[in-house]
Amino acid sequence: MRRELDELFAGRAFWLLLLIVGLLVGQSFITAVNAYAEASGIGGGVAALAQGLSPLDGFVTPVLGAYDLAITLLFPFVAIRLVASEKSSGALKLMLQWPVTMRAQLASKLVALLVAWLIALIPFAIAAGLWLAYGGHLDAGETLNVVAGYTLRFVLTSALAVAAAAMMPGAANAAVLVLGITIGTWALDFLAAGRGGFVQKLATFTPTATLRAFERGLFRVDVVLILLLLSLCFFALAGIALQLGRAVRERVLRDAIAVAIALVAIALAAQVHTSYDLSENRRNSFGAADARMLAAIGKPLEVTVFLAAEDPRMSDFENNVLVKLRRAMRVEVHYPFGGSSALFENDPRYGEIHYRLGGKTAISRSTTEEIVLETISSLWSGGLQPAGVAPGIRRAEARRSTGDEYPGYPLAKRPASAALIFYVLWPLGVLTAWLLRSRRTG
Amino acid sequence: MSGAALTVSNLSARRGSRDILTNISFTARPNQILGVIGPNGAGKTTLFECIAGVLPRTSGTIEGEPRYYVPDGIRPWPDQTVRWTLECGSFAVALESGGIAAAVQSLDLTALLDQPVHSLSKGEAKRLGIALGLVVPRPVLLLDEPFDGLDFRQTRRAIEVLRATKRTLVLSIHQLSDAVRVCDRFLLLDNGRTAGEGTLAELGGNLEERFLA
Repeated sequence: MRRELDELFAGRAFWLLLLIVGLLVGQSFITAVNAYAEASGIGGGVAALAQGLSPLDGFVTPVLGAYDLAITLLFPFVAIRLVASEKSSGALKLMLQWPVTMRAQLASKLVALLVAWLIALIPFAIAAGLWLAYGGHLDAGETLNVVAGYTLRFVLTSALAVAAAAMMPGAANAAVLVLGITIGTWALDFLAAGRGGFVQKLATFTPTATLRAFERGLFRVDVVLILLLLSLCFFALAGIALQLGRAVRERVLRDAIAVAIALVAIALAAQVHTSYDLSENRRNSFGAADARMLAAIGKPLEVTVFLAAEDPRMSDFENNVLVKLRRAMRVEVHYPFGGSSALFENDPRYGEIHYRLGGKTAISRSTTEEIVLETISSLWSGGLQPAGVAPGIRRAEARRSTGDEYPGYPLAKRPASAALIFYVLWPLGVLTAWLLRSRRTG
Repeated sequence: MSGAALTVSNLSARRGSRDILTNISFTARPNQILGVIGPNGAGKTTLFECIAGVLPRTSGTIEGEPRYYVPDGIRPWPDQTVRWTLECGSFAVALESGGIAAAVQSLDLTALLDQPVHSLSKGEAKRLGIALGLVVPRPVLLLDEPFDGLDFRQTRRAIEVLRATKRTLVLSIHQLSDAVRVCDRFLLLDNGRTAGEGTLAELGGNLEERFLA
């Protein structure tokens, strides 16, 4: 373990990464606080937008967003270096003769990388401290949920980078492979949006899509399991590739077995529909009465969305309604126009959303939560008799019954001292730590 | 074979469609120095790596006492110091720190202890490689080209140090003059096959002629 940490700190790549992460977080933080202040009416205007503000959207997500860039473009090189350097310098051939299993050696690399991640999170901790010092609000649950999402994303990218470094000849090839896969997931994410079917299901597990769920305050057990299983699979592939003493055919066979096991486990994990809404404003959940009503229906709801993937109403419907519906009841969604452009759509059904429940059908063009609930309620109250909820209960009544409205958190403060901390003190601190470290190692 | 520190039987190795080693068999006796001699491409390094288990073999058996192999031309953990590298190597294998001081002193590495490995010259890196073998207390030590890059004085010193270890040594040496001075017995390799095995006398006395024949 000490060896891995020493190796991590010995590389300039890590210190450069720390320096850049601090600058990126600083830039994101200053921009976010200024935007929040302006929306809160710092310019003297009415804080009309304040009711829609939340620290999750206004502070946590944009500031942690800086880490997305670091995880995609910087951390893979640190992880690749940990393995590629040992391969190219000949150290691996010594390590393979040690009485320590490759599994244990890779586990210690993972721990070292996690330590690197925790150190890299210091700028975010500083930003959070400043935010609170300005009088801002943070909800622990939703904040930690987003941090957990980024941590899982980091583990996945690190595992991929370690596997690439183990399997490919040379660090440059490994870097190209990692970036290629990352770009591939971006393309999948873009192409699959609103198309339905297996591709859309697959795209919900790309790193970008999974982060989106965490950034909404949603903790999806299937996403967490799949990210962990993928990471484990990549580490297993790295371990197999580094066993240079095994025949190539044997390694390929082991790779195939590891991938097959991972795919089966991932397929099983994808069936888990448990999720937790950790957002402070419960944005991923219907009101308690509505949720009870939907849960009591007990039959699957079939929704057919006659909208193209690029249509903004599609993303409204997906993000504001379907995400809640999926948590509240069994929903099967079809996207007949998923693969087409909205520009030249002449189908008379375009724009419609069809609902089918227990043999009854309803059609609506609305993508707003209240109308959708009204529609579903009309289907249900027309025939079904769910237990525990009186027929005829309506969403407006349900909202009144839940009581408090989400208040929003206006904060009309400029990011005082942030530039000094992130642009001057942080780089100086990193530089000093690196120089001290370099002096120690000669 | 009883009493042997290392017995290799019918070892073959292949890369792609090319046979690198074909049915290599030999024995290294305890506390002996066995020199593996052969021209470039004879398969010396492949043989060592198969024995160490860092390259796969297609057939053959390897028996004997625990062994440790130090490859040729390595600069392990280049950003770390010589001291760190030696401590890391010994700690991982044996937790024996006493051996480090002895190896450092005998191979004249004291002045280099705080130097990063990447800054070492070829000869210094070679001495570090020998030290990495010495700090690991395994009865059989395989060193690939241990004298390549050392000057005459350093080579003589390294030979003294290796002889004093009282271990079974298997050395790959391409300089026949060095091999004759340090080794008790020889394994001659040519094109991946055994061209001879025995003492200098058993092999006819003149290794150069043997090779050129």
